[in-house]
Amino acid sequence: MTDFLAYGFVQRALITGALLGVSCAVLAFFVVLRRMAFIGVGISHAALGGVALGVVLGISPMLAATVFSVGVAWVIGWIAAHGRISEDTAIGVFFPTAMALGVALISLSPTYRQDLMGYLFGNILSIRPADVWILAALAAVSLGILALFFKEFLFLGVDEEAARAAGIPAEALRYLLLTVLAVTVVASMKLVGIVLMSAFLVIPAATGQAVARSTHGMLTVAVVSSLVSVVGGLWLSWLWNLPSGASIVLLAAALFFAAFLAGRRRGR
Amino acid sequence: MSAPPAVLVRDLVFAYDREAVLRGATFTVQVGSFAALIGPNGAGKSTLLRVLLGLLRPGSGVVQVFGGPPGDRSRPIGYVPQRVRLPAGFPLSVAEVVLMGRYGKLGLLHRPKTADRVHVAEALVRVGMGEQASRRFSELSGGQQQRVLIARALVGEPLLLLLDEPTAGLDPAVRARFYALVCDLQHSHGLTVLCASHDLEVLSEHADRLVLLDGDVRADGPPSVVLESAALARAYAFPAPHDHTAIP
Repeated sequence: MTDFLAYGFVQRALITGALLGVSCAVLAFFVVLRRMAFIGVGISHAALGGVALGVVLGISPMLAATVFSVGVAWVIGWIAAHGRISEDTAIGVFFPTAMALGVALISLSPTYRQDLMGYLFGNILSIRPADVWILAALAAVSLGILALFFKEFLFLGVDEEAARAAGIPAEALRYLLLTVLAVTVVASMKLVGIVLMSAFLVIPAATGQAVARSTHGMLTVAVVSSLVSVVGGLWLSWLWNLPSGASIVLLAAALFFAAFLAGRRRGR
Repeated sequence: MSAPPAVLVRDLVFAYDREAVLRGATFTVQVGSFAALIGPNGAGKSTLLRVLLGLLRPGSGVVQVFGGPPGDRSRPIGYVPQRVRLPAGFPLSVAEVVLMGRYGKLGLLHRPKTADRVHVAEALVRVGMGEQASRRFSELSGGQQQRVLIARALVGEPLLLLLDEPTAGLDPAVRARFYALVCDLQHSHGLTVLCASHDLEVLSEHADRLVLLDGDVRADGPPSVVLESAALARAYAFPAPHDHTAIP
């Protein structure tokens, strides 16, 4: 374990992973409450289109993925609120379209294919020293927004109509939550990967829900299980040379099943 | 100059896209009274309540709540929806649900304080749910959940209570107890109540007035008069009470 902690890339992955793990866990609370799991899938897969656009345009893939994912999230949110098709249908249109765009653009750039697996399934080696501060800042901002508007997001998730009637700015907060979701997805991309990111936006909260008796308990268990998944998953990734995303999500899933069985045993 | 009515609706027109739902509805609800908004499905009852809440903007006509525009937060409205559906097993407590009724008063970025939690405890006692504060909302029966939603409306200290088919899916005994509670609160708190519902019988026991809506107002008056009206029979497509010539 001390060998593991001695490497600079491991330290970077642990610092950013812990911060992103906490913000993902809190975000997962709202994803579960608002039944947004599919939108998490859509946004995370759309990020591939953004990465590819960045490569083709010669700009930072992370920056391009952030702008692209936020744009896709807003379009899905707008269509769901104002369009004539449902949210899941809108996601079902945008998710494969953006992913197909990413695959097509990446196929035009053969030199970039070696990095593709890292974006798809996570690679702790890909987190450079300069990334740590950026990812930490993104995680802190996401967490700050979720904490500041926690009660409003909670009310909107429980009863949007009553929240709007009480003067909560539902429209603005919906786009804010979608933005936080998209930014967190992109920030976590190098750690967990595009394909597995959506699981990380659901499993910690599902683990909390399985055992907790209150929302505070659910949040606490979600955060702790998320941190254990990140730290333990990164260690397993280093130990067995696995993609970091796969080991993190597998550990998170193991914690969920343990929590689920524990919750059933005590009749929760 | 006399005080304005709690609700004034005059020639209200509202359409979703081009489909008119409200076509010149006109009625008033006096302060402190209990009015029931009845009418068949699609009559525009829920739409009308959303206009009064300020969630929908009328196409034309006049809508006032205590003499001001709908959605004016200085005249708080308590709102009880048909149902609140949480994800299965979501561990939100009864007290947390009721506390949400204070969020409008608190404003953005302000956290609830002890005084807000005292309001929550008192409101739960008022609706007979004082012992259930720490229970999960999703574990409660439908009737208990609706009582909790009344408590949530009360903690906002409203002058007007709007209820949108609050007893849909509940059994008759629970419905009767629910409306008796609303009636008690109306008298004890000096509330004005406007309730959209299909519960004609039980509402006629508690409401001062029935307003029959079917795009526009087809009948408006004391329950005994509206229940006997031919307009009610036409709106619900059943034989008028004294129309022996009609074939069921």
